[in-house]
Amino acid sequence: MYQKKTVLFAILILITPQLLLAQMERKRAVEDGPVEDIFLAASIVGMSTVTNLPHKNLNTTVMHNFGLISGGVDDFFGLDVGATVRLGIDYGLTDKLDIGIGRTSQENNVDVRLKYLVLQQLQSDKVPVQIALKANVGVNTQKENRFDFTFQERLNYLGSVMIARKFTDQFSLQITPMISHFNTTVIEVENEEQNHTLFAVGLGTRYKWNNRNALAFEYLPVLGNRNSGTTNHAALSLEIDTGGHVFQIFLMSGQWFTEQHLLARTNTDITDLDFRIGFNINRLFSLGD
Amino acid sequence: MKYLLSLILLFSLNQNAVSQSYYTENGTAVFHSRVPLHTFSGTSEHLTGMINLEENILDFYLDLETLETGIGKRDRDMRETLETEEYPFAEFYGELQSDFDSTTTEEQPVRAVGNFTIHGVENEIEVEGTLQMTDEGLLLKAGWILLLADYDIEPPSLLFVKVDQEQEIEIEALLKPEDD
Repeated sequence: MYQKKTVLFAILILITPQLLLAQMERKRAVEDGPVEDIFLAASIVGMSTVTNLPHKNLNTTVMHNFGLISGGVDDFFGLDVGATVRLGIDYGLTDKLDIGIGRTSQENNVDVRLKYLVLQQLQSDKVPVQIALKANVGVNTQKENRFDFTFQERLNYLGSVMIARKFTDQFSLQITPMISHFNTTVIEVENEEQNHTLFAVGLGTRYKWNNRNALAFEYLPVLGNRNSGTTNHAALSLEIDTGGHVFQIFLMSGQWFTEQHLLARTNTDITDLDFRIGFNINRLFSLGD
Repeated sequence: MKYLLSLILLFSLNQNAVSQSYYTENGTAVFHSRVPLHTFSGTSEHLTGMINLEENILDFYLDLETLETGIGKRDRDMRETLETEEYPFAEFYGELQSDFDSTTTEEQPVRAVGNFTIHGVENEIEVEGTLQMTDEGLLLKAGWILLLADYDIEPPSLLFVKVDQEQEIEIEALLKPEDD
C-alpha cells in the first residue's frame, strides 16, 4: 500500500511540469476601461461635447455655415450669402485638460476655452456618466464705429457642465446646463430686452449606425429671461469619421459656433423649418514622441 | 528508502525544469503601419510572455487594448478594426527550433515556429529573433511581417487611403527567472 501511494505521488510530481507548461491563462491588462467615443468630436455643431483630447493630441477645426436656405435659388439656398467661419485649435495639455483658441468671422470674436474632464464613464458602469466642465472667454475684436468699447466691455463668457452617457454602442445623450454672460449689450430698439446673463440647458444626442457614420442633434433652449427676437438654437448633423478626420455636414438655425452667442443671438426659428447649411472639419494630430 | 531517494531525484529534476522558465508582463510590442506618404506606429508595454528553455516552449500574448498610436481617435479606430471586445488578445504559442546556450551572455539568433492568433484567426508562423542571457534575465528580440488578410482584418482607411496590408511587428522583452 505504501509503495502504491509512493508511485502515485511520483507520477504526480512528474506530470506537474507538463501542467505548468500548458498555455498561460490570458488576463486582460485593463479590466475596466473608460467608455470611448461617446461623441465623435469635441462639438456636435456649436455645442461642445464631453469628448476630450488625450495628452499631446491637437485638433484643428474649420467650422463653416452659410445663409438661410429660405433664400431659395436666388441665393443658392444660402450659399451665396456671406459665410460664418470659426477656425480653431485645441490641444490636450493632459489626458483630462484641453485648451483651445478660435476666431469667428462674426464680430471678429476670438475665444479661448478650457475643458476639464471630471469623470469618465466606465465600461463596468461603476461610473455611469461622463462629466466635463467648460469655460470659454471671447473678445469682440471688431472695429466699432459707434462706440469706443474698452477691452473689458468687449468680453463674453460661457460656463457649462456637460453630463453625458453612452447608453449603447449607437446611442449617446448629453445634457449641458450652461450660463453665458456678455459684459456689454446694445439696445438697438426701444423696449428691447437684452440680458447680460442667460441660462440654458443644452441637449445633445447621437445615433451611430456604423463605424463611420452617425446622426447627431443639438438643441439649446434658453431658460428664463431671453433677448428680444431670439429663439432656441437647434442643429442636425451627419457625422462622417474617416480615421484622422471627422466631417460634420449639418443644418443649423443659429449662426455662431460659440454657445454664448448661440444663446444670445439666434433669431431663426426652427419651427419655421429654416436653417443654414454648414460643415465642420475636425483633423487630429499627435504631437507626442 | 529506495523509493524515497527516487522521489528526491524526481523532485530535484522537476525544480530544474521550473528554474528554466522565464516570465514577463511588461515586454514591448510595436507595429509599424504604412499609408501612402505617411507611416505610424503603435506600441504596448504590456506584452506578457513565458519562455521555458527546458521544453523549448514560448508562450506570449498581448492585450490589444493596450496598444497606443499617439492619437486617441486612431487607437479607437484600431480597436474597432481588430474587434478587440470580441478578440482581446494577440497570442503566440510555439517551440524554439534552434539551440540556445544559456551558459553564455552572447546574443544568439533563434528561430521559433508556432501558432499566432489575432482577430480570432490562427495561423502557423515562423519567427526569427535573438535571445541573450543577461544578469537580469533572458532578453528576447524578434520581428515578423503580419499580413492583415491572413487574419481576416479589413485594412482601415485614413481619409480615403487604405492602410497597407503588411504590418511590421517587433517585440522585445526581458524575461526574469520564474523563481524570482
